Amino acid sequence: MSSAQIRFFTLLRREVSRFVKIKRQTLGAPLLETFLYISVFGAALGSRIDELHGFDYVVFIVPGLIMMAWAINAFSNNASSILQQKFQRAIDDQLSSPASPLELLLAFSLGGFLRGMIVATLTFAAASALVDIPVDHPLILVPGLFLVGFFFAQLGVLVGIRAEQFDDISFAQTFVLQPLIFLGGVFYSASLLPEPFQTLTHFNPVYYMIALVRYGFLGYSEANVALSLGLLSLATLGLFLSNLRLFGRGYKLRA
Amino acid sequence: MKPSATRIAIREVVTLLTKRSVDPTLHHCRVPALDIQGLVKRYETGTEALRGVSLQIQQGEFFGLLGPNGAGKSTLIHCATGLAQPTSGSIRVFGHDAIDKYAEARLGVGLAPQDLNLDWFLTLEETLDFHGGYFGMPKRERRERTQELLEAFSLTAKRKDRTRTLSGGMKRRLILARALMHRPKLLILDEPTAGVDVELRLELWQYVQRINAEGTTILLTTHYLEEAEQLCDRIAFINDGRIVAQGSSDDLAREFGVSSLEDAYLELVGRKELSRAHVGDLVP
Repeated sequence: MSSAQIRFFTLLRREVSRFVKIKRQTLGAPLLETFLYISVFGAALGSRIDELHGFDYVVFIVPGLIMMAWAINAFSNNASSILQQKFQRAIDDQLSSPASPLELLLAFSLGGFLRGMIVATLTFAAASALVDIPVDHPLILVPGLFLVGFFFAQLGVLVGIRAEQFDDISFAQTFVLQPLIFLGGVFYSASLLPEPFQTLTHFNPVYYMIALVRYGFLGYSEANVALSLGLLSLATLGLFLSNLRLFGRGYKLRA
Repeated sequence: MKPSATRIAIREVVTLLTKRSVDPTLHHCRVPALDIQGLVKRYETGTEALRGVSLQIQQGEFFGLLGPNGAGKSTLIHCATGLAQPTSGSIRVFGHDAIDKYAEARLGVGLAPQDLNLDWFLTLEETLDFHGGYFGMPKRERRERTQELLEAFSLTAKRKDRTRTLSGGMKRRLILARALMHRPKLLILDEPTAGVDVELRLELWQYVQRINAEGTTILLTTHYLEEAEQLCDRIAFINDGRIVAQGSSDDLAREFGVSSLEDAYLELVGRKELSRAHVGDLVP
């Protein structure tokens, strides 16, 4: 292994070891949360709701829950990890090493991405044990979920760099991210909404992400799949390049 | 034409995947360990922390940087280690430009910062192991070096503990061990003995004197003048972002027309009434 490879894998190992060390909080809590959603919305309320677009209610919401698990964990992991290291100035150890801006950005991004992937995979496994979840279009599902995970990982990095206190992260998560995800149609079909909410939903980027993932699992989509995939790819690339520029400038990292 | 961020990123991914090794030996005979020319650092607030600093530290030297709080000592160190970005001027570490060739430059430098900036989540072993990894050390070498340093700094018994459980003195020792992990040729010590007890201070002095004798160049900032006097071959006074004088302890005393380094320093900061030579004047 070359020096650069050792360096990159060490940077990534540090990020992974952080969330593994506090796994009750970083892996256990999100799993419990998702289990509660499935229990309350799926089992309890779902029995009183008719099928949605030909699917049992609980089956209809699971794809959104898996996407939400990946998105929120990727975001919060990266935002918290960067801010915590900035607070302690422990990040100076990485910043004064030969690591390039790209290596630093990729390592910080993939930390949350992998945590999100673990939680999403466990959620899928747990949900599959309870109900039968189809996987209709794996070639759309896998890249779709990876893109969603990477997009929110980048968003977490961005918020982590900009944040000066934990309240900044909590604000972004509670007042921006959660509403967008919840109103994007995790628990319902946007086509059931009255106007003007149905039209407004189309301005929510998370709506297209959920539609994409739901199509991958169930083969049903309310939005144009190719367009969703294209726009998500562009948004993810744009965010990645913008973060790379911030790391290159040392924005809020180097004095 | 300047390459785009995308092209740079692609090039770096290719390098990351294909590069076999980076030469970690930065041995360039007669090249200064640290060569700073016309360094200016202006913060976004408009504060000018460094106003054209020029400084050369030769390989193998034990160099002291003295100055009052806010004089620019830490800013200078941060610029040399990539933690701050210079506004203008140049910094070369063993001949490598610290901006354009930052990877090569940083490989040769070990920094023990003033703040106890340890990651609370990590154990002592992990702290050293990760640091070695950031500098590209292979696993086996990292393991051996970690054991060696934990032993040298009497931290072996605590190796599995998280860093937040350590006493202040132990944290200080761990920070020095971390700075030495990748065997730097230039060791930068930013107030390493601030707030430590007498025994530890003497222990640290002995250790850094030994590694200096073994060939490591050392840049030390301190507020303890006897520390600088005892350890350093040459000393520079920095004040208000400028190097105002440099030389041996005796040179500096001579330059300020006084009999000791302490009196020279008091002259520098305009507080000569505090000189021990005047203690008798205060007795009624």
